[in-house]
Amino acid sequence: MTMVETSAPRSLYTADARTKARNAAEKRFRIYGITAVVIGLLALVVLLSSVLGSGLGAFRQTVLSLPITLDAKALDPKGNRDPAEMAKATTVTYAKLITKALEAVVIEQNLAPEMSTKNIGALISKEAPAGLRDMVLADPDLLGTTITYDVLASGRVDGFFKGRVTMESAALDSNITPEQLQLAEKLRDAGLLKLAFNTGFLTNPDASELRPESAGLGVAILGSIYMMVLVLCLALPIGVAASIYLEEFAPKNRFTDLIEVNVANLAAVPSIVYGILGLAAFINFAGMPQSSPLVGALVLTLMTLPRIIIPTRAALNAVPPSIREAALGVGASKTQTIFHHVLPLAVPGILTGAIIGLAQALGETAPLLLIGMVAFVKDYPGAPPEGILDPASAIPVQIYNWTQRADPAFVERASGAIIVLLVFLLVMNSLAVILRRKFERRW
Amino acid sequence: MTPGLLALIVLALACGGFFLGRFRALQLVGKDLRLLHSLPGYYGQTVALFTAVPALALMAAWLLAQPVVIDSRISAMIPAADLPQGSSRNLVMADVRRIAGGIDLMLADGSLTEADLRDMRADFSDIRSRMADVGVALGANVQPSVFEAAKDWRALTGFGRLALTALTLAASLGGFAFAILRIRPEFRARNVSETFLRWLLIAASLVAIGTTIGIVLSLVFQTVHFFQLYPFRDFFFSLSWNPKFGGGSDLSIWPLVWGTLYVSFIALAVAVPVGLFAAIYLAEYASKQVRSIAKPLLEVLAGIPTIVYGLFALITVGPLLRDWVAQPLGLGSSSSSVMTAGLVMGVMIIPFVSSLSDDIINAVPQSLRDGSFAMGATHSETVKQVILPAALPGIVGAVLLAASRAIGETMIVVLGAGAAAKLSMNPFEAMTTVTVKIVSQLTGDTEFASPETLVAFALGLTLFIFTLVLNVLALVIVRKYREQYE
Amino acid sequence: MNNMRLTERAVTTDVTKFTARKVQVYYGASHAIKDVDIDILDKTVTAFIGPSGCGKSTFLRCLNRMNDTIDICRVEGAIQLDGEDIYDKKVDPVQLRARVGMVFQKPNPFPKSIYDNVAYGPKIHGLVRNKTELDEVVESALRKAALWNEVKDRLAAPGTGLSGGQQQRLCIARAVATSPEVLLMDEPCSALDPIATAQVEELIDELRSNFSVVIVTHSMQQAARVSQRTAFFHLGNLVEFGETGQIFTNPRDPRTESYITGRIG
Repeated sequence: MTMVETSAPRSLYTADARTKARNAAEKRFRIYGITAVVIGLLALVVLLSSVLGSGLGAFRQTVLSLPITLDAKALDPKGNRDPAEMAKATTVTYAKLITKALEAVVIEQNLAPEMSTKNIGALISKEAPAGLRDMVLADPDLLGTTITYDVLASGRVDGFFKGRVTMESAALDSNITPEQLQLAEKLRDAGLLKLAFNTGFLTNPDASELRPESAGLGVAILGSIYMMVLVLCLALPIGVAASIYLEEFAPKNRFTDLIEVNVANLAAVPSIVYGILGLAAFINFAGMPQSSPLVGALVLTLMTLPRIIIPTRAALNAVPPSIREAALGVGASKTQTIFHHVLPLAVPGILTGAIIGLAQALGETAPLLLIGMVAFVKDYPGAPPEGILDPASAIPVQIYNWTQRADPAFVERASGAIIVLLVFLLVMNSLAVILRRKFERRW
Repeated sequence: MTPGLLALIVLALACGGFFLGRFRALQLVGKDLRLLHSLPGYYGQTVALFTAVPALALMAAWLLAQPVVIDSRISAMIPAADLPQGSSRNLVMADVRRIAGGIDLMLADGSLTEADLRDMRADFSDIRSRMADVGVALGANVQPSVFEAAKDWRALTGFGRLALTALTLAASLGGFAFAILRIRPEFRARNVSETFLRWLLIAASLVAIGTTIGIVLSLVFQTVHFFQLYPFRDFFFSLSWNPKFGGGSDLSIWPLVWGTLYVSFIALAVAVPVGLFAAIYLAEYASKQVRSIAKPLLEVLAGIPTIVYGLFALITVGPLLRDWVAQPLGLGSSSSSVMTAGLVMGVMIIPFVSSLSDDIINAVPQSLRDGSFAMGATHSETVKQVILPAALPGIVGAVLLAASRAIGETMIVVLGAGAAAKLSMNPFEAMTTVTVKIVSQLTGDTEFASPETLVAFALGLTLFIFTLVLNVLALVIVRKYREQYE
Repeated sequence: MNNMRLTERAVTTDVTKFTARKVQVYYGASHAIKDVDIDILDKTVTAFIGPSGCGKSTFLRCLNRMNDTIDICRVEGAIQLDGEDIYDKKVDPVQLRARVGMVFQKPNPFPKSIYDNVAYGPKIHGLVRNKTELDEVVESALRKAALWNEVKDRLAAPGTGLSGGQQQRLCIARAVATSPEVLLMDEPCSALDPIATAQVEELIDELRSNFSVVIVTHSMQQAARVSQRTAFFHLGNLVEFGETGQIFTNPRDPRTESYITGRIG
């Protein structure tokens, strides 16, 4: 038996070759780790900047500030200011008024001497007359006056000022010509055309394929809010009740074990499977209305439940047994112990979990596609409670919808909608972090 | 009465019941609390619970059952001969409901009275144009049997509503009276309401079981339906996916499974090394400050909705890969490709791997690290030879969970992978996955009862079983691992 | 104290392995070790005794720079191994620890086979050229740790499956396998039952023929049984250091006396 002798004098001050190699390997390993973290963070940065970069444009919209004379004769031929009568003047009439106003400006400033009325009118969004009409119908006293109204410019003009449309692409485009774009530039130089904050993006309903400039998130935001409120009202009580049972009451047996494995599995079931469940159970079997926030909320509730149960159980479990023993020791019943002592102490953890679960539900798309939310919805859902049965959209589904359309203007809208979605998520998650920071207690 | 209003009434009754029960309990003992078995609030609670819970449960069950019962009765009234060519019972039933809605509208605006309705016959009056007047558009003229069905549907629904209201109120008031009359000073109100409450808690935890049963039932039921219309053999033993509107589709699962596995493989090839090394770095090397910043930032990746990743794949990664990699190499000219979806999905699941691995590495006891350091091992040797082998089961669990996530991911592949079902090795070609096809088959315009639509349920069942196996396996492994170090 | 073998064994060598001068250790703001001067001899068992929190374990961990793994820990002063400052910038703790092995309070075998546990050190330090040599090293280490006969038929079994005493002897074998010059033991018997403790103590006595052993112990009996020299630490100070027999029979410092007679502790 030989004890292996190591190389002669071993001074601590000189590293032998093997140690050097080992330290080099150590350094490499460390660099791999740093690289991995950097890759992850870089991906986050690229992801966010790509979305922000292409989406910020959606919050600014090209408008034409035009003095529009609301010709009483054309808009209210009978002159009695009766809204029912006035409603007979369609958007076509209003479109003519707007075009006339624009043409007057163009002629007055001699911006495009040879251009026809029709070509000038093409700068204006097809959706613009409807907005003006709504405004006049709401306030008939405006008739006969001249107002300065911010008219939506057409999607292509908007794209031109955001760099999406160029003179070259316009030459190939049947919807716009380079001459029209030159006119738009002159209008901008004259101070009539500008990029303004796009409130319509947050309030308008979706618009048709050809009118990206007026497409907004109004219906989707409302639909998402309806669903989130419903999910909160359903998932939080059920989730907390289930957690209390599983954590505090359930006997340790195979059935409880089954429920536990089941909950853990449900948390990892692909979300689209919940969509299939919603379609089969709620729509086809129970006959609930398609694309309604109610069905969406039920599907999202089932999906969110396990994601609330897991953190809630953890929060209940984190309350030390000494608290329970103390309460039981003074003669409180088990239920009293839980509801008077354990649950209040677990509230911050429960709320944090619930908010994070809700944030996940807010961003969920796939199950909502299957229950018909992908349909084009132009009307706002009604006020609750009946409104939860009306067709509505949701922010993530609206994003998906826009990505499926041909006009690149919708990509900008989709990215803009993502910014809105991320802002909602940021607010919810910050709330969760604040709750956790503020009330977190270590035993 | 609308269900919402009804529910509010029941809740109001319960609320009143609480105060009445409390009051009655106090009154019975002349305000001397000591004579009561339980605190007066518990007497109120029993009344409130007995008033609200059975009534609301009844109402929910009725609302779920009513449309099913009525539809099956009404649909039996329409003879098969009256079904228009190329239509189905489902579509006709939709017409029935719309006509019934139209009748309500006509009654509401006064153009029709109940008496007129009774005599109205589809073969004599022009229902379609009258419906159009109130804003209900019908595709074709109305068959007499359909119109009769609509009238009956309306009548039955109206009756159902009425019965629902009556029964719910009866249940509510019955519970109310029962609970109030039970109140005696020696009545064990606390025990009763706690037992009641415990059953409610049990019911809540059964929702989770119910969800699983619901998923399995709806998938299995429709899958069986699918295999009645489409041969089992072609689904499993053929290699072509080619749905056609008119029927005669090829619906083999293999091209979709291939696409799914290919995309998931690329995603895992990205996420596992990056996630694992990031976890090792954060758990073993990073200083507290770096860890406290980098860890939450990485976890942000998991909080970003998948639709955002989908758009990122669609507008950024796809074109980038096409212009800089695929086209120069002559590998394809499609911006949606397996590689696009795989890379983006890989980024998405980095935090799933890193978070869980980080937890697991942290759970390896410090004594093992000390033992290894004391032997003169370097940090990386310690990680590679002691910590990783010790943490291996947990890390395997984390990877399985990530794989399950990748296989079930939908929006990234819908927007990034393409829609062409192919069995190809080229990662820069557009391919499709199980989830993409579930979405496209169920959001399309095909008729619900056709194999082209029902195949989505068979695909869903496949997906569910796949992920179930992965999840349960991962759960068992991780749980075993946790026990080892507790 | 009947069972105390107050050995009068002479210290066999006068070769100094460790020389510590003016050693200070800080944990963040707290001053854990104050001005410790000590010489640790080769082929001798040196015991560190003292009440909990007196700094004896902390000082032990300074000797192979295990304190490096704790961020807030700072060491000042000079500790020399064979005349070389182990806290010198040029010194790689990896090389140092190959020469100064350590055994911990709780047995911590790696979740590997018995063989791999013992082979770990020789492998990472590249001490062997082939499998045969490795087999020999493993066997010799296990024999030195008095474990060979118990495990020779199941070298492939996991080390975590052994009993507590066996696990601790496995850890000693693991430390011995790299043929260190000094073996540090941090309360090696505190997690063991009396029989296993006796086995390990016997082993320590045998190890003395090859190594310099430093043992931290809570039990004065153990210190008296196994060590030739004893150092008494109190509140971060080295109160008294000398021949074990002298410390236990004729302490010079009143604090040492109080501790030994059980008045402080």
